[in-house]
Amino acid sequence: MFKKLKLFNWGKSQKESSAGENLPDLFRFKYSCFKMLLDSNAEFLNVMTDLEEKLLGQQVFGMSYVRSRSAKAVFHALRMIKNLDDLSGHCYSPLFDILEKINLKIKEILGRKKEISISELILPYSAINAEMTDWVGGKNANLGEIHSRIGLPIPCGFAITTRAFESFLLNSALFDEISSKKMNIDPDNPGTIKTISDDIRQLIISADVPAEIEDAILLAYSKLAGDTSSGKIPDSSLRISMRSSAVGEDSELSFAGQYLSRLNVPQEHIIRTYKEVVASLYTPRAIAYRLNKGIRDEDIAMSVACLQMVESVVSGVMYSKNPLNMLEENIIITAVWGLGPYAVEGVITPDSYTVGKNGQTISSDISRKTVQLISKPDGGLTEIPVADALWDKPCLSADNIAVLAGYARKLEEHYGCPQDIEWAIDSSGKIFILQSRSLRADDSGKSYPVLPVLTGYPLLIEKGVTVSGGVGFGPAFHVSSDEDLLNFPDGAVLIARHSSPKLVMVMKKTRAIVTDMGNIAGHMATLAREFAVPTIVSTNVATSVIHEGMEVTVDAYSGRVYQGKVPELEAYQITGEFPMKDTPVYSVLREVSDRIVPLYLLDPRSPDFAPTFCSTLHDICRLVHEFSYTEMFKLSDLVSDKRGLAFKLKGFIPLDLYVIDLGSGLTEKNLNLNSISPDKIASVPFKALLKGLLNKDFQQNQCRPVEFKGFLSVMREQMITPPSAAERFGDRSYAIISDKYLNFSSRVGYHYSIVDSYCSRTVNMNYITFSFKGGAADDVRRNRRVRTIARILQSLDFATDVTGDRVSARYQKHEIHLIEDKLDIIGRLLQFTRQMDMLMTK
Amino acid sequence: MEKSDMQIIRLLLVDDEDDFRTTLANRLTRRNLDVTDAGSGEEAIEIIGQKSFDVAIVDIKMPGMDGIETLRRIRKIDPLLEVILLTGHASVEAGIEGIKSGAYDYVIKPCNVNDLMVKVEDAFRRRMIEKGRAQENRECSKS
Repeated sequence: MFKKLKLFNWGKSQKESSAGENLPDLFRFKYSCFKMLLDSNAEFLNVMTDLEEKLLGQQVFGMSYVRSRSAKAVFHALRMIKNLDDLSGHCYSPLFDILEKINLKIKEILGRKKEISISELILPYSAINAEMTDWVGGKNANLGEIHSRIGLPIPCGFAITTRAFESFLLNSALFDEISSKKMNIDPDNPGTIKTISDDIRQLIISADVPAEIEDAILLAYSKLAGDTSSGKIPDSSLRISMRSSAVGEDSELSFAGQYLSRLNVPQEHIIRTYKEVVASLYTPRAIAYRLNKGIRDEDIAMSVACLQMVESVVSGVMYSKNPLNMLEENIIITAVWGLGPYAVEGVITPDSYTVGKNGQTISSDISRKTVQLISKPDGGLTEIPVADALWDKPCLSADNIAVLAGYARKLEEHYGCPQDIEWAIDSSGKIFILQSRSLRADDSGKSYPVLPVLTGYPLLIEKGVTVSGGVGFGPAFHVSSDEDLLNFPDGAVLIARHSSPKLVMVMKKTRAIVTDMGNIAGHMATLAREFAVPTIVSTNVATSVIHEGMEVTVDAYSGRVYQGKVPELEAYQITGEFPMKDTPVYSVLREVSDRIVPLYLLDPRSPDFAPTFCSTLHDICRLVHEFSYTEMFKLSDLVSDKRGLAFKLKGFIPLDLYVIDLGSGLTEKNLNLNSISPDKIASVPFKALLKGLLNKDFQQNQCRPVEFKGFLSVMREQMITPPSAAERFGDRSYAIISDKYLNFSSRVGYHYSIVDSYCSRTVNMNYITFSFKGGAADDVRRNRRVRTIARILQSLDFATDVTGDRVSARYQKHEIHLIEDKLDIIGRLLQFTRQMDMLMTK
Repeated sequence: MEKSDMQIIRLLLVDDEDDFRTTLANRLTRRNLDVTDAGSGEEAIEIIGQKSFDVAIVDIKMPGMDGIETLRRIRKIDPLLEVILLTGHASVEAGIEGIKSGAYDYVIKPCNVNDLMVKVEDAFRRRMIEKGRAQENRECSKS
């Protein structure tokens, strides 16, 4: 976190030589303050560049990113102030308060949290309705609504509220530990997500649930067992299902299948399972989902639905409208034998029924169902074979379908929008609703294009079931394990045997998904539509006909897959861009950045260029940076021997350049002058830079070819004619020199460049670092210029790095004459860019 | 003030990691520093009560009294004792608190002894200057 920028590598051994052997302690002290100040200034600029880049909204980041970057910005601004204050003999203490004010504002923006205003740890469904999502999560709130307001059958049970979650997790030391672990997540590296997820879940599972919560849950369980047993004695063999019901499931987002649900939980495992459900907030896919959707972790909370276990004979999912065609007034029902997970997890292909609003079946597609899930006697679930006679039998009778369709109509009517419903039928034939939520449509109202079969390309898959439309092209990548997900390459087409909500981890990277099994009503289907990934399921053959690495074009509108690239379909491709803009995390970043990035103090000569007018961290850093030079110039007054240390460089250059000599940087000692001419400079690197900076060829109205070919060709290609040399250049520039050392910094308005160089006979110690920051990151022209500079530097053998509008370059361990040549060229480059700056700022 | 180079800097090294502390103490002693080491914040405070120091190096993350608290107490006892914080993966927040509480600067762990020496010398110089300033109590010139 405190990684030092290489830019100011004030090295170990050169510090003595560059600072001179006989400088007074006060000067050395001030100089070390100044170095730290510059070091933090560079770090601050880095953070700012990074923020600006994230503000473009094309990269994924989480709240821990926003937090750590803001803290870093505050830290370096603070360190700058401290060093200026030390440097000046404590003349700038008011700046501390101004920084603290901005820091408090930033903290306030970052700290906003939802208030949980409920005191009960447990609530019965009779006391819950749809308005209570903040207390019991979306799933519970809807179950309460269905039970108490709509009057449809749900299993008996209770909800463990978010108050319980708050005292277990949020208000404990646990949460701090979790937060600090989260800091290390790199959104672009699924490996880090996996490791940190494992750590966090382990922390939660091994923590103790407060006794008060444990007692309340077990008491509610006993009551439930008492209510459901036929006799007076509570039936302690009662099994329950414990299902996640998270808060923060914004109505816009589905969170489909992201959190844990456990069926058939016996009494002795209830508390452990509670912790597991809470821990599922931090599964890799849940973390990835929230990152991609820009959801703040502060806004999530886990409530749990505890329902009497329904030993279902048949279970399934029902959509009150067709998600792929909302205009159709039909209900879609999918069903499997046994327990529900197999209906949504994509393990087997369920029966599918299309039903009219009147309850009449319009069409049915009966699949072969050879396995089913059932409860094990000692808890947990197990897969067993389905009796041969039932393999190809429909799971649902006409009566079942009519009742289900009736429920679907009621639910849609009550909520006023299409619903996605989970249901189960027990051995007595009773139908229960297990969940109902808004159905996420695939751009409702928009119909899919009808694409013909294109000849001339090998057709690998003729007919799969479309769950999310679109066209995607890329190399095939088979996923059969979590490991495969971690290694999933950007831009590939995902091929898998089963559909699974785990695939959300790579939905940003994949161009299309094709699976053997799965169905339109599964969790993955919901996620694929949400992430706009073209997806075909139930192809039966995808994993066998599409080989690893094979390039394929997926036409998910028509359920076809072609081998190779099909140019005719390119126009239908979904770009897969996923802007962070409009997400909650983005808007926090925006607000925080408004306190950090903008620069209002532009003109050091203006009377407003003063501490009281600083309203952003950038203002503070700009001001501190400017004043630090002023303070360094006062040095000559303070140093006991009154030796001249700072001079204005005089002469013919249109540059306000001041020179601070650290020792042996000038040809003559004890100059009693305020200004000196360039020929008095003895500093090797500064002389070389000045040679370029003063090069007459560049002070004309056009560029004339000089020695470096590539340099000029790029210039000609990218730049317009510079203004006349008579133009006054921007702000003051400063050069800090010794015989072998140079630090040169100049600024015009927003643009800022630094050259730092050491140039001696010891080849290994020689280096040049150059950095240039070109202006706001959203300005295309300025970015283009930064890239141009980077190209020039690259062609000069510099190692360069471009981030947003900032380029940093390094050239090291070269012979003295090579260093001099490069400095000469950089001098010319600077002259040119300064002219450009003048032109552009006008 | 050439003298400062001759003067032996009295350094207090506070870190709970025994191996790291002993190794670093040895290396700094070899560079002519007068090094005393302490395995905890509590121990450090006790030692400061008995002997005076110029510079302290304090690890931020320690069990019991943490680095920031140790820093605050040290500065209370001797406001001119310069403290350099050692940070591992501690949060930047701790760094902010550190500077607010008067730390000289920070060094990242594991650290290069040369870098650390530069910081120690700079910190010592600051102590000398702040001492001088305190004596003169001179009005600072407004810019």
